[in-house]
Amino acid sequence: MKFKTIIASACLVAAFASNAHAEYPEKKIEIIVGYSAGGGTDVMARTVAPFLERYLVDGATVVVKNMPGASGQIGVTEVANADPDGYTLGTFNLPGMMARTLDRKADYSADSFTYLANVVDDPNVIVTAKDSKLDTMEKLMTAAKADPGAITVGMSSLGGDDHFFLMRLQNGSGAEFTIAPFKGSAPARTAVMGGHVAMGIFNLSEVLGFREELNILGVATEERSSLADDIPTFTEQGVNVVNGSLRGFVAPLNLPEDVRGKLLDAFQKAYDDPEFSKAMLASGNPVKLTLGDDFKALNQEQYDFAKSVWETTPWK
Amino acid sequence: MYANLIDALPNVLGWANVLSVVVGVIAGICVGALPGLSATMAISVLIPFTFGLDPLVALGMMAGIYNGAMYGGAIPAVLLRIPGTPAAVATSFDGYPMAQSGRGGFALQVAVVSSAIGGIASAIVLMLLAPPLSKVTLLFGPAEIFWVAVFGLSSIVFLLGGDPIKGLISAAFGVTVSVVGSDTITGYERLTFDHLELLDGINIVVLLVGLYALPPAIDLLENADFETVKGKFNLGTGSIWKAIPSMLGFWKTWLRSSVIGVLIGILPGAGGSMAAFLSYNEARRASKNPKAWGNGEPEGVAAAETANNADTASAMIPALTLGVPGTSVAAVMLGGLLIHGLQPGPMLFRDNPDLVFGFMWQFLFGAILLIFLGGSLATNSFAQVLRLPRPMLGAIIIALVFIGVYSINGRMFDVYLTLGFGVVGYFMDKLKFPLPPVVLGLILGSFAEENLRLALRIGRNDWSTLWQNGTSQIIIAVTVSVIVGPLVMRVIRKRKSEDDSAK
Repeated sequence: MKFKTIIASACLVAAFASNAHAEYPEKKIEIIVGYSAGGGTDVMARTVAPFLERYLVDGATVVVKNMPGASGQIGVTEVANADPDGYTLGTFNLPGMMARTLDRKADYSADSFTYLANVVDDPNVIVTAKDSKLDTMEKLMTAAKADPGAITVGMSSLGGDDHFFLMRLQNGSGAEFTIAPFKGSAPARTAVMGGHVAMGIFNLSEVLGFREELNILGVATEERSSLADDIPTFTEQGVNVVNGSLRGFVAPLNLPEDVRGKLLDAFQKAYDDPEFSKAMLASGNPVKLTLGDDFKALNQEQYDFAKSVWETTPWK
Repeated sequence: MYANLIDALPNVLGWANVLSVVVGVIAGICVGALPGLSATMAISVLIPFTFGLDPLVALGMMAGIYNGAMYGGAIPAVLLRIPGTPAAVATSFDGYPMAQSGRGGFALQVAVVSSAIGGIASAIVLMLLAPPLSKVTLLFGPAEIFWVAVFGLSSIVFLLGGDPIKGLISAAFGVTVSVVGSDTITGYERLTFDHLELLDGINIVVLLVGLYALPPAIDLLENADFETVKGKFNLGTGSIWKAIPSMLGFWKTWLRSSVIGVLIGILPGAGGSMAAFLSYNEARRASKNPKAWGNGEPEGVAAAETANNADTASAMIPALTLGVPGTSVAAVMLGGLLIHGLQPGPMLFRDNPDLVFGFMWQFLFGAILLIFLGGSLATNSFAQVLRLPRPMLGAIIIALVFIGVYSINGRMFDVYLTLGFGVVGYFMDKLKFPLPPVVLGLILGSFAEENLRLALRIGRNDWSTLWQNGTSQIIIAVTVSVIVGPLVMRVIRKRKSEDDSAK
């Protein structure tokens, strides 16, 4: 009798479990953001969340949980160590998250995640103050080559996309610049506008509102950006550099295939929703979707470049 | 532009928007009055909830909280010598002695009126002068900001207390704590002992409540007689409207401190605490009887409280026009704007004038509301807290502090850190080490260092670039005159009196 009960209840539990599994999501999904509320990545997650809810299943709840600290490292480590059940997702920033595995002791690696979707691609730009004489890429590169190190470059931090963009630029052209890392991009942008540094490297979304104060010399995309198609790409100007800040979503490694499928599908549908790109753009997040395995390959490419920079010119 | 200002007004006066400011001010006063909870934290907790709200309602609440909290911090600073927010440290210098001598009610009234005046001045400056003043912000690069920090550090001389050696040790401790974390220029980790939690540095609230809130709370527990604190001194609250005429003599301090607060507000990186310290020092320097300062001089409360509210709206000037927040509260507010799709910059003023100018009006209303809400309602009800038995009050404060510290980043690490600082603070208190230099060292230490190194990096290690431009030279001149001036005056006066006696 007792044995039967155990068997019966075990079967019941198993049935429920598989049933529940089939109905993913059956409870709330948490997106862990490694930055505090109100930052660019946080706003992205909060903008994406309702669209995921809409396209997963009826009644799905997606909540954002902020775990700020150590430039996102605390949050992303939490994601890497979470159960791969589809109820813990996290935001993922490139190249930052990969660069942290090189310049710090990190409890995660490129192999700790199931890569879902990269949603934001915010290309790098070079800007100078409106009254600066260096108002074209040609003049800038000539000046940089004439006196190596004379051109000071304001940027948000070391080991981020701004920094890697500069490394790609230096490697490609042979010019040399002096890096001035500020605490975040806004103070750096102000320093460029005030003429305290000669030029600045930012992301396109960070300077679009300041076009009357700044010259945007070029954008690091393959083709001109739809946000400002009057700005030439660097490639057009003979400097072959493509780089940017990428933001997306990951889950812990070994996410069940059906859960992964549902999530990828929801991201694709969200991306196809015209409301989505409008909402994202308003919050300064230019969208470009890279899904699943393509995202994983993109991450690997970013990691390899970060590693090559780290090995030749470590930034600390 | 001024037409936009008027156009935005009707919308702000809608009931939902007015209510949001009222709720914000009340919430701000409460948050400010609770040690361990700060405006920065309250607003960052609020931000996710505002996602679905009308932008003006959300912004009004934030403006209200900011104004309310800057005053609210004064309440425990006066009543218990526990600054409720980092910016209220200078308020406790004279506020607490006033409370001990039975004038606590008056001290709070001075605080609320001064806070409101500072807030109103700041809001008016924001409304009328935001675009031109953003040009002033542009003048300040790393070199100039370094000199401002040096100017701020020079005021440490006046905070050292009776024993300069102990004062300097305190300041050095503050500076040491300030350099913890990853260094922005080289990326090296300093004093982090492999703790990820320390990479971003130590939050000022963690240090502040450890040093300032825990020792007095422990003190309340140590003398566990169940008498109420109130039994020891009479609060002495009268009607605020009757008290105002007796404050009118502070007009010079109000004016000076408003100017200081506004200026500190538009400088990126400096914040309310620095404004309060600087204005306290300047007011004392200008006073006829500097000896009374620190022993319950109402003007000291007025100076500190005017300044820490005068930098609220003005901190939004660089935040709205350039995207660089003047204070940490303004930084989280920017997040609040971003979440509603409002990106800072000149475009913001053009694309969303009703929101931006409405937000400015809300700052003004928030400041005016302070007198009504802070004056009668909040002051009276918070003063009743002192009726609690001492051990109970101490226990409540300690619990609140830990909740507050935990909620900054949602981790226990900060709570342990606070406990550690509490132990340090307890012994500093017993061994008579002054606490204000620690706070000043924490605020300005790494701030000065970072900007110096950045300036040198930009100047390619040529030290002369530090003083080659006009703005730097002006700040250096002011600093030198402020430090050397009193010495010269003393020598001249001494000569004079010698001459007189020789005759």
